[in-house]
Amino acid sequence: MAYLYPMKKALFSLICLLCAQIAFAQKDSLAFDEGNNYIYYRVVDKPTLSADTLYKRGWDFAAAFNQSTKPAKGKAESTLNTSGKFIVYSGVSLMRKEGGEISYTINIQTKDQRYRYRISNFVFKPYQRDRFGNMVPIPGIEVPLEKMSTKYGKKETDNYLDQIASFCINTASKIKQAMDKQPVIKKAEPVKKVSTENW
Amino acid sequence: MKKRLLLLSFFVASVFAASAQDTTKADPPLIISGSVDTYYKYDFSKHSNIPTSFASDNNSISIGMIDLALKKKVGKASFVGELSFGPRGQAQSIPNSDDGNSFHIQNLYVSYDVTDKFNLTGGYMATFMGYEVISPAGNFNYSTSYLFTNGPFQNPGFKATYAFTSKVSLMAGIFNDSWNAYTSVNQVNTFGAQLMVAPVKGWTAYLNVLTGKLSGTEFDLTTSYQITDAFKLGLNAATFKPADVVGTGGFTGVALYPQLAVSKDVTFGLRGEYFKTKTGSYATLGPAPGSSVFATTLTANIKAGPLTVIPEFRLDNNKDVNDGFINKSGAPTKNASQFVLAAVYAF
Repeated sequence: MAYLYPMKKALFSLICLLCAQIAFAQKDSLAFDEGNNYIYYRVVDKPTLSADTLYKRGWDFAAAFNQSTKPAKGKAESTLNTSGKFIVYSGVSLMRKEGGEISYTINIQTKDQRYRYRISNFVFKPYQRDRFGNMVPIPGIEVPLEKMSTKYGKKETDNYLDQIASFCINTASKIKQAMDKQPVIKKAEPVKKVSTENW
Repeated sequence: MKKRLLLLSFFVASVFAASAQDTTKADPPLIISGSVDTYYKYDFSKHSNIPTSFASDNNSISIGMIDLALKKKVGKASFVGELSFGPRGQAQSIPNSDDGNSFHIQNLYVSYDVTDKFNLTGGYMATFMGYEVISPAGNFNYSTSYLFTNGPFQNPGFKATYAFTSKVSLMAGIFNDSWNAYTSVNQVNTFGAQLMVAPVKGWTAYLNVLTGKLSGTEFDLTTSYQITDAFKLGLNAATFKPADVVGTGGFTGVALYPQLAVSKDVTFGLRGEYFKTKTGSYATLGPAPGSSVFATTLTANIKAGPLTVIPEFRLDNNKDVNDGFINKSGAPTKNASQFVLAAVYAF
């Protein structure tokens, strides 16, 4: 039984390491661009596909991704933009509630056999509770993501950064799926059938 | 034992991995919010003079209320249930129940988004009228205005709201014949409407009307403009005429709310209010019919996370010496002044 103690230590350390890895994994997906603004940026090689094909797929993705906003052609060649917003939550467990909304821009640019995209221009609009008990945006208050830590403290900012990174990771997988033109496969659940004839 | 430890570690790892997944796809949570507040007030006449709502105890460390709100939205349907316990949330804001001293409902309603622009809501709701609210977390000043005190607190009813754009919306509804009661006196015959406009970023204005054969008619303008990151200006103006069966006269008033944030955690605000009780039989919580009051309140909000400390100084000046203020010698006076130190924890 003496061997159990080092075993327990090893397992405990593994769990702690796993927790730390997962906790930090999300936020580290975000980087800074040349202007020191938060960005989620990827360049992807797509051999055999032309710029036009990739652009069309990117456009279809943008049109379907946020149906309340139409995509627009960008200034640079083979570029398109779309924008949107999503809710971020403050607090944990029972005290979790809408903390605000994050607006963002997605820019996709294509060339022959390659495309790149960036998710950027993150702006935070804080929410407050109104007289009816709903969390609503505070009019006129918008905070660029880069300035959040000066207004809201590290813990709160890190919480929102994790959620933003999670959103970017999910969006990236949807962009990849659209660019690869992979059909969305819905897993068919097997129907359990019995035979009452032979018994 | 070894197998149990291994199983436990895999379980913990999978729980963490699952919770670290896409948080944006998680089912909207049951939202719990609210506040608690406590205060000390000192009226310089050595007794409470100013008749506006809440912060009524003089020279006492007193409590406001515990406010607890629940909200859940699944798909297009949502509910809000909000209770309050304590002097501010009980006898001072809403009628007592039969036992005279119980918890009170601030909001209890259900809501449905017919489309993303059109919403239907029904139940017992905070009033849509006016600038200030019952919850101390929703006001900048701790003491309240005469316009708030004399206006409605709750209006049970059914309303429909249509958002033409993000800058213009219209609400119309029917409400019980009496303000601030869980049930109607006789019927549902009060009409209410609100036009919201947001002409430029940071500026929102609400034009409100509430009219009924028993509840009277009030027109109200509430607007606020975040002019810069640091400076905000608010305005509330209203006029009220009671129903014929209730009396004649009413009230009218205007209040201005400039606020300046001097740092991330400290904001100063001034409230200047002119309130008049119109000539007639209708009595207000304020000056006598035909008279008026000018109230100046200087307030600071000092934030430490969810806690806001609120020091406040207020000076009210009645037009007539017999309008209700009594000095420390027991003689009528035109002026009343008080200092309040409050703490509000919002969650």
